[in-house]
Amino acid sequence: MRRLIVFTVLLTALPASTAWATDLDELLQSGQGASYSAEQVISCSTPDGVRDAVVNIAQSGGELRVTSSLADDVEVATGAGEWSLSRQGGLIVEASVDAGTAMADPLYVVEDVGSVVFLGRDAMAFRLIRGTEPRAELIFDNQTGALVHATTFTADGEIYCERRFISFDTSQPAIEQKDEPLATTSPTLVEDSDLPQVVAGFERLDHYEDEEGVRFAYYSDGFFSFALFETPTAVTVPEPTLAELESGRYSRAFTAGQVIYVWETRHGGMALVGDLPPDLHDAVLAEMPRPEDPGLFRRWWRALFG
Amino acid sequence: MIHRSELTSAYLDGELTASEHTELAEHLSGCGKCSAEMEQLQRVRSAVRSLPVLELPAGIVPEADPVVVPLRRQKGLWTGVAAAVVATVIAVAALVTPDPGPVSVDELSSRFGARVSLDPAFGPAKVVIPPSGVVGE
Repeated sequence: MRRLIVFTVLLTALPASTAWATDLDELLQSGQGASYSAEQVISCSTPDGVRDAVVNIAQSGGELRVTSSLADDVEVATGAGEWSLSRQGGLIVEASVDAGTAMADPLYVVEDVGSVVFLGRDAMAFRLIRGTEPRAELIFDNQTGALVHATTFTADGEIYCERRFISFDTSQPAIEQKDEPLATTSPTLVEDSDLPQVVAGFERLDHYEDEEGVRFAYYSDGFFSFALFETPTAVTVPEPTLAELESGRYSRAFTAGQVIYVWETRHGGMALVGDLPPDLHDAVLAEMPRPEDPGLFRRWWRALFG
Repeated sequence: MIHRSELTSAYLDGELTASEHTELAEHLSGCGKCSAEMEQLQRVRSAVRSLPVLELPAGIVPEADPVVVPLRRQKGLWTGVAAAVVATVIAVAALVTPDPGPVSVDELSSRFGARVSLDPAFGPAKVVIPPSGVVGE
């Protein structure tokens, strides 16, 4: 049976940062309204091995969906601040947030690489340079403005992740009607945060807290981003590896394009979820609360009183 | 000859049986060493008994202070009982209280994905794959 996954991304109407080059800015805006369907391959070389994924993308009228055929009973939908994972029609997990702050001022200098041909179509290539290090190369389809190829790099120039369209069709965008947005409980924005405002060039844009006491802050450097979570209890991650960094020992897991760090402090669990390349991990984690064994009594106390 | 000096002190105290008394008497009649030891022991006992008995002046032996330990013992006892009760309550509560359970990273990743979807650009470059690996991989 053919497996079907629906992964929906709604691009918001927020204007792109004026800090980007004019050509790139225009492509980003036109890309949000483009109509196309495509198949995308994601491949990331991580310290724990290669992580691959294949997803199908369709966009029309400003709505972008990404689907995969590897699991027939799973559906992921996201967009406009919403994200949900369903299996066999039953909701497994969902989230909804409101942005408290606009996109961070990019740390990057945009270099116009020039015209290229990608999948037989005219395209424009740009390089994003953070400091003196090229961190990303982006190729946009001239006609649609779609981001058809994105490559991210580590500080030493090695490829971290590549997202490439392997097929591209502007004639038949396969867009199904999106269901009504799920009724979710949105976390509230926290005005005062004790987390650092800037970490290794990443700016804290907003900080949320929900009814279960889970707090998270969203950091971005204008391209890469991550969320830092503080939870009352420990965080579990499937099939983690032990990562021994200068800042401590963590449980770590990679997916295609995403990294997850999990650790405990005396106050509860912590997790970092983001798309930042590996060479930035230690610099970011070094400025966060360090891993610490809470001890038996604190575990009991948290079990009793949260 | 086996000397019977272990019987001389008991003899002087009148603690020998008739057979032991006969045995010792026969031995003393033929053993000069034991006879001399018996005679010396008798002289020492007579000298000790002739010493005068003196009354001790008051104050040489201090009187013992009243003991207040029972009250402290009671306080320590109740403290121990209270501590034991509290420890028992905590232990039982820890056992019967349902563990809130760890937070799934899928939940956290979904929030990251939701927040990322608000970024205005780079949509195809920001596709969030759930950690459980059910999509794409």
